[in-house]
Amino acid sequence: MTSREKILSSIASNKPALTTLPNVPIFEGDGSIERFKTVLEGIGGTAVELATKADCQTAIDKYYSDLKNVASDIVKANVEINLDTTKETLEQVDLAVIQGEIGVAENGTIWVPESNMLNRALPFITQHLVLVLDKKNIVANMQQAYNKLENVGSYGVFIAGPSKTADIEQSLVIGAHGARSMMVLIY
Amino acid sequence: MSHQNHPELAEVFNKDFERTTWHDETLWFVRQKRDKAVYPIPEFQDLRTLASEIKDHTLSNLDNYLIEFEQNAIKNGVKVHWAADATEHNQIVMDIIKNSSKVEGRNPRLVKSKSMLTEECHLNGFLEKNNIDVVDTDLGERIVQFRNEPPSHIVLPAIHLKKEDVGETFHEHLGTTKGEKDPQVLTEAARQHLREKFVAADVALTGVNFAIAETGSFVVCTNEGNADLGVNLAKVHIACMGIEKIIPKLHHLSVYTRLLARSATGQPVTTYTSHFTKPVEGKEMHIVIVDNGRTQQLGRADFRNSLKCIRCGACMNTCPVYRRSGGHSYDFTVPGPIGAILSPNIDLHKHKSLPFASTLCGSCSDVCPVKIDIHVQLYKWRQIVGQANELSATKKWGMKGMAKVLSMPKVYDLSGKLARGALRILPHGLTHNQSMNPWAKARELPDAPKQSFKEWYEENRK
Repeated sequence: MTSREKILSSIASNKPALTTLPNVPIFEGDGSIERFKTVLEGIGGTAVELATKADCQTAIDKYYSDLKNVASDIVKANVEINLDTTKETLEQVDLAVIQGEIGVAENGTIWVPESNMLNRALPFITQHLVLVLDKKNIVANMQQAYNKLENVGSYGVFIAGPSKTADIEQSLVIGAHGARSMMVLIY
Repeated sequence: MSHQNHPELAEVFNKDFERTTWHDETLWFVRQKRDKAVYPIPEFQDLRTLASEIKDHTLSNLDNYLIEFEQNAIKNGVKVHWAADATEHNQIVMDIIKNSSKVEGRNPRLVKSKSMLTEECHLNGFLEKNNIDVVDTDLGERIVQFRNEPPSHIVLPAIHLKKEDVGETFHEHLGTTKGEKDPQVLTEAARQHLREKFVAADVALTGVNFAIAETGSFVVCTNEGNADLGVNLAKVHIACMGIEKIIPKLHHLSVYTRLLARSATGQPVTTYTSHFTKPVEGKEMHIVIVDNGRTQQLGRADFRNSLKCIRCGACMNTCPVYRRSGGHSYDFTVPGPIGAILSPNIDLHKHKSLPFASTLCGSCSDVCPVKIDIHVQLYKWRQIVGQANELSATKKWGMKGMAKVLSMPKVYDLSGKLARGALRILPHGLTHNQSMNPWAKARELPDAPKQSFKEWYEENRK
């Protein structure tokens, strides 16, 4: 008997009688931009509201003029990133500006599917991360977010603020392994 | 070497009074952060009930969900492996690493993000013996790896250490300035050191927080971003999961993602909630599904719902015994109340003292996001320890003596009288002798009253 068969048959003989699977309701809640911004700032991110998506370039010029290597398919970029980009090039990225799909007001998180990432490693290896978000895609909570999400694709991540750790004496340090800062441009 | 039990190991931890106090207060602070994160969610109790019922249902149909998960994962281009125990798990992981990353002239390089399962299987030591370079990339895990220690908490692996200890360790291993203890500076040093490791790795290994039967996807939650960084830079991704990590549907994540981080650290959600479904073309993704005693626990009606645990650590942060005895005193991969109900299933003799490492106050059950009746199970394990004749002699004969006395009212009255008299007459050094009366360690008995309650009641009942 293979281990697979052994495990499955042991479960079959040890499991309890079948219970019902509950229905998960779509809970109501406050899905306002204000709440989203407050929560995001509470977890170390920043939020900036723009009139239109076209203003992203102006915002990047204003806040990140000191950063050299920019990767993006939304604003002017000087590093080209695609599926075949080497680790050595990825490592040089200072700023990545990427489209986010769904924002969650309750926890400040944003859904980023692989198709928006240019390369799976980019949102994590970049020193600083900017996500661009359409305000009509902000929902109240995770029930509403997963309800809106038709599928998760090959790979996708909910990102909530910059990378952080409190592993040394519970002192919060922003910028553990991933992005040192995270800004959301809301239009 | 004989195995030390929980009270003995706790005594070692308690020798440093200030550190014990610090540990106690720090974890209580995390518990308070949990409360602040939980109370504003109006449906939090509904979410706990849903989380509990979804897991109950999943356990009651676990074989079918595992098959569904496997089929979908295979369709997604993922290789699925099954391991009955730790030995098989370790062998599978090593074979994947050796087959996928043959590089002339050097050892294969593995970066790992946090996985309590691989701790449980003692994977690191096994791989290192087989010439594979293993780097733990979670900051807390890297710290304890440098120090050759196991994690002392499942979410906060280095919570038993002070920043001075970490500074010393990093000075030795990463060349930071001697005496440097600023968490910001130390974390930056680890970031630089680990970035090199991420870029150089051949294989990345992660744990699994949730595996979704419906899609064959699995979800990994981190704050540091180390799982995604490792996996997305390496050619091969190995994800190791216990059979109990399954949930039926994608949208069930909406329940668990609202509970996990709030219960664990008081954050609204982990920084990264990553959904892995298919590998990038030209790369490999493997899932290792592990039993290692879990199906046996599933067969124990009183204890099976310990398998619902989502490893948030809330029961540790709130536990008055864990906070004052430290994770290492449990001598089991998962410490604290949940560890004390998981460990006797693995080895009752070795872990017989753990169900007693509790006041049965029930705080663990109160904060558990999936409503495991932890304190009830602790109580039930005590009965099993007793039936298996594994109680210590003092406990066993003490209990037997007490049962006799309590069953005979006259003897009870007399012993009470004698004890009250003796307590008044005997010197403190004798009544509080710590080898005869371990209860008196750091505790004072109250003054003995002149009469018993029964005598007082008979006098005053009119």
